[in-house]
Amino acid sequence: MRAPEQHATRTTALLPVGSPASVRRYLLLLARRHRAGFGTAVGLHAVGAAAGLVGPWVLGEVVQNLSTGSTDAYITRAVLFYLAALLVQSLFTGLSRLRGGILGEEILADLREDFLVRSVALPPGVLERAGTGDLVSRATTDVDRLATTVRDAVPELSVAVVSLVLMLGALFATSPLLAVTALIGTPIIACGCRWYFRRAPQAYRDESAAYAAINTVLAETVDAGHTVEALRLGPERVELTDRRIGQWVDWSRYTLWLRANVFFPSIDFPYALSLVATLTLGGVYTLHGWTTPGQLTTGVLYAQMLTGPIDLILRWYDEIQVGQASMARLVGVREIPDPETDEGLRPQGREVRADRVRFGYREGADVLHGISLDVAPGARIALVGPSGAGKSTLGRLLAGIYTPRAGEVTLGGAALSGMPPERVRSEVALVNQEHHVFVGTLRDNLRLARPDADDQELRGALDAVDADHWFDALPDGLDTAVGSGGSQLTPPQAQQLALARLVLADPHTLVLDEATSLLDPRAARHLERSLAKVLDGRTVVAIAHRLHTAHDADLIAVVEDGRITEHGTHDALLTADRAYAALWQSWRSDGT
Amino acid sequence: MPLARIPLPDPGSPDLRSPGRFLAWLARSQRRGQWMSMLWGTLFLGCRSAVPFCIGAGIQAVVEHRRGELWAAGAAALALGVLQTVASSLWHRQAVWNWIHAAAQTRQLVARQASELGSGLVRRIATGEMVAVSSGDVEKIGWFVETSSRCAAALTTWLGLSAVVLYREPRLGLAVLLGVPLLAVAVWPLLGPLERRYTRQRELGGKAAELAADTVAGLRVLRGIGGEQLFLDRYRAASQQVRRAAVRTARTSSLMQAQQLLLPGLFILGVTWYGARLVVSGDIGVGELVAVYGAGASLAWPLMLIGETAESWTAARVAAARAVRVLSVTRDDRPTPDTMADTPTETAPTDTAPLSAPERSDLHDPVTGLTAAAGRLTAVVCGDPDQAGALAARLGGHVTGGADPGAGEPSATLGGRELDRLPLAAARTAVLVHDKDPVLLSGTLAELFDVPRSGAVDPGRALAAACADDVLAALLDASPDAGGDPMRARITERGRSLSGGQRQRLALARALVVDPPVLVLDEPTSAVDSHTESRIAAGIAELRRGRSTVVLATSPLLLDRADQVVLIQDGRVAARGTHRELMHDEPRYRAVVTRETTEDQVTA
Repeated sequence: MRAPEQHATRTTALLPVGSPASVRRYLLLLARRHRAGFGTAVGLHAVGAAAGLVGPWVLGEVVQNLSTGSTDAYITRAVLFYLAALLVQSLFTGLSRLRGGILGEEILADLREDFLVRSVALPPGVLERAGTGDLVSRATTDVDRLATTVRDAVPELSVAVVSLVLMLGALFATSPLLAVTALIGTPIIACGCRWYFRRAPQAYRDESAAYAAINTVLAETVDAGHTVEALRLGPERVELTDRRIGQWVDWSRYTLWLRANVFFPSIDFPYALSLVATLTLGGVYTLHGWTTPGQLTTGVLYAQMLTGPIDLILRWYDEIQVGQASMARLVGVREIPDPETDEGLRPQGREVRADRVRFGYREGADVLHGISLDVAPGARIALVGPSGAGKSTLGRLLAGIYTPRAGEVTLGGAALSGMPPERVRSEVALVNQEHHVFVGTLRDNLRLARPDADDQELRGALDAVDADHWFDALPDGLDTAVGSGGSQLTPPQAQQLALARLVLADPHTLVLDEATSLLDPRAARHLERSLAKVLDGRTVVAIAHRLHTAHDADLIAVVEDGRITEHGTHDALLTADRAYAALWQSWRSDGT
Repeated sequence: MPLARIPLPDPGSPDLRSPGRFLAWLARSQRRGQWMSMLWGTLFLGCRSAVPFCIGAGIQAVVEHRRGELWAAGAAALALGVLQTVASSLWHRQAVWNWIHAAAQTRQLVARQASELGSGLVRRIATGEMVAVSSGDVEKIGWFVETSSRCAAALTTWLGLSAVVLYREPRLGLAVLLGVPLLAVAVWPLLGPLERRYTRQRELGGKAAELAADTVAGLRVLRGIGGEQLFLDRYRAASQQVRRAAVRTARTSSLMQAQQLLLPGLFILGVTWYGARLVVSGDIGVGELVAVYGAGASLAWPLMLIGETAESWTAARVAAARAVRVLSVTRDDRPTPDTMADTPTETAPTDTAPLSAPERSDLHDPVTGLTAAAGRLTAVVCGDPDQAGALAARLGGHVTGGADPGAGEPSATLGGRELDRLPLAAARTAVLVHDKDPVLLSGTLAELFDVPRSGAVDPGRALAAACADDVLAALLDASPDAGGDPMRARITERGRSLSGGQRQRLALARALVVDPPVLVLDEPTSAVDSHTESRIAAGIAELRRGRSTVVLATSPLLLDRADQVVLIQDGRVAARGTHRELMHDEPRYRAVVTRETTEDQVTA
């Protein structure tokens, strides 16, 4: 049977994935942090597992004695000894599981917290380009997968390895001859494993991708219910779901074939063979007097027990690989370099200046071609131009989020890219259509802009953006839970919240990018009043979609194809009678 | 052994009277699979339980120096081993297939339900619930359906083994017969606390994951304004809470581990002890003692399977309850072809006569008095913003994103026929409402345009009219495997990789491709810059020439292209005319459209 065709496209990761070397380095770091805990857990388990080997040995002794004619008294002693071993085994195994559990949870907490610590310090430019989707899936899916690995796979596997080693030791101690005989099936198992583990990991990854794809389709159908209905896509969505199920089933059939038709038989049959060999050949050894009936009994029972840990190892080996992939994705964020910044660099003044700036997202494909622009303190500049002309990119350069490939963007004479992001943002803020409302209280959502602000100041900020009318209607005031799961703020309210944060953060320069464009234009008007209050007294660079925004600006720059093609006041541009003037005329086509 | 075909050509109509009945229905619809799994399972477990008897016989033969019997015992063990290998493979294959069958069948049902409910979904059930059924719940449902046949195999094996031992040695047989249920039940006292602690841990874990996802999703805000430490501290606290809860779970589960070693261990010990005394008294040989020990140990498998079934039942009951809830929801706002014949509701008697020539019929809204002439481009400006959404909903016979703001109001009429009394498909075919929040479904661009359409407008023309050239370039940039063909470029979920304006233009192009007799566009260019908007306005006017189109808008660039502009004030039509006429003669219109404030008007 051949692997099905690849359906789900493997998306290209925008954020790096950790190399094997860096994963190893990180694991070493964790191992060093938790060395003592790991040692205790393994030690406890070793005692428990050793006690678990007593049963077959006692039975062997009993068989030996009974076959030579023994008495009740001996049996009682043996049973008591067995009982003691059973108690030790239960107690120590339980304790080792507990220690292992505590240790695992410590490691997991470290992993997820380390990841978030690194994530919240990522350079703004990286976030802007890579988006946050990949990061969110690392913070949730990968952390979750790793939890399974750490909670189940790592302990099961370590336990199995320890048990296997002890068991083999006990088998050799019983009779080296029997031990060698019991290992007769090993080469077949080794071949089967080699074959299987070459194909399985990728097949499982593809299977789970195909499985997730079914859900994606369904989640979209549900999410887009109104669109699906309006466009009459219902039957097509059903058909698509069935097709995705079919693709998943193809993969499942393949992995099932790998396991049921090849892998399991290549394990199960050698097991049976080993057992039969130990019994019959061992029986022959005993008949020849090379081993005793007691040794034979113990040996056969050990040989039978060997399947336990080997099964566990094979079962959890896959899981470890899944965990490793997730680990690489978590460690990956540690590899993103921080840009070199100079703590001592401070702006002298508030003038923002772009000097012959060139910038591109890819090598050899510039989006901006040598743009120069001066923004005087307190000035309002509107950037207008068609979509894709580079307005937003220019805005991000002026806000210090991207570093120009050539040329320089300076604030008060100091290069924005040379200053740490924490300093840049106290001077310049980018306001875009993203108005994230964090899960938590309204207070949390405001205080992030100024952690030391008291309630009076927070209320003042809400008043300043005209949010007081809905804020006063909230049952719990600043303690109202908002964000997903809490009270839902409407998009205009969320936008006002974002503006209130700006009032608190108080940067002197703002870059506005489509700040109100995603809103219902009918609600935008009220919001613009709030915005006007925030803008008061600050330097503003506005990426204008609506011409009335441009009209109100002190200066207008028309951006086309990555260049500034027109530049001047509204009246000057009308007089120049070029692209801007033509557009303005059609907009104000009232015949006056 | 052939396996059932999946996906099922028809997932059938489930028994939704209770979660238990639903699970039973699922099991019944794969009856053959259930029997086969039980059969292979019994064979496998039976072989496993029989092996210790061969070992016993072999050792007995050795003790008694009977070489022939030793070889016979070995041969029997080998035969059992081969049989067990085959049974194991077939059992695994069938059991997993049963799981897949149940999970796929449930998902097929949910998918059909989702597309059936359409826009009615949002109002009737939380969408999250539906996704939860399809993601986590189907796995639990499948797990139970799978384990139920495994459990049947385990029970058969236990009874079979008891019967064999009972026949040979009544007291030992009785011990096996009673011991297994006793051991299975012994775990239950700990299951309750474990379940509770685990649920608590899961809740806290979910909360922490949500906090992490939320913090990371809003990271651009945090990095742009500040507050990282605040959110980091909050997450640390949540993460440590998870750790403590998980350690509490680990305490219970390690206790359970110890118990699961101790109790079966004591059982085997007891049985072996009794066996040893029988050897001393000469009733059985040492070989049989070894067999007794081995058979006792082999009971671990059925025991484990019975425990697993109990566990899966607990999980599946909750999951099946949710599935039943989701699958039981029906649409209440529309007559459906099934129900309209026998149960016409009083509020909306169905109008089943076919709609003739929708492209030559006027669209009329009784609430505002708006009439959009057939074949013309009508623009509507609403003085009161809140009414625009309700108007759009009425014009389509009620379909909008999210809650329907026009619910309860009479719907619009097309050629005199009330749209919400027509069968759903007929109404949606005649009028397409392109609302403010159309969703881009993920897939290739070609798939995006694969919608029911008239065929008169090809995607290329629609994309050109919507000025989407730069969108194509952006899509191609992000899809290196498209090989430069924009139609093979991929759109991610909800078009998240695109900007708001780019998404809006792609969605507009999709609506234009459908080319419906009547197209209602609600603010189709609100996120687009003025340069592009003016070109789109021209594109729409050109492409929809001769077709009925209604645009709800406030931008002069769009309004100027309309054949007729209607101003709605205080819920009624207030003025009509072309854009230029209204700008000239209607101050209320000018105020809405140019967004002039009073000061502007003074200085102007």
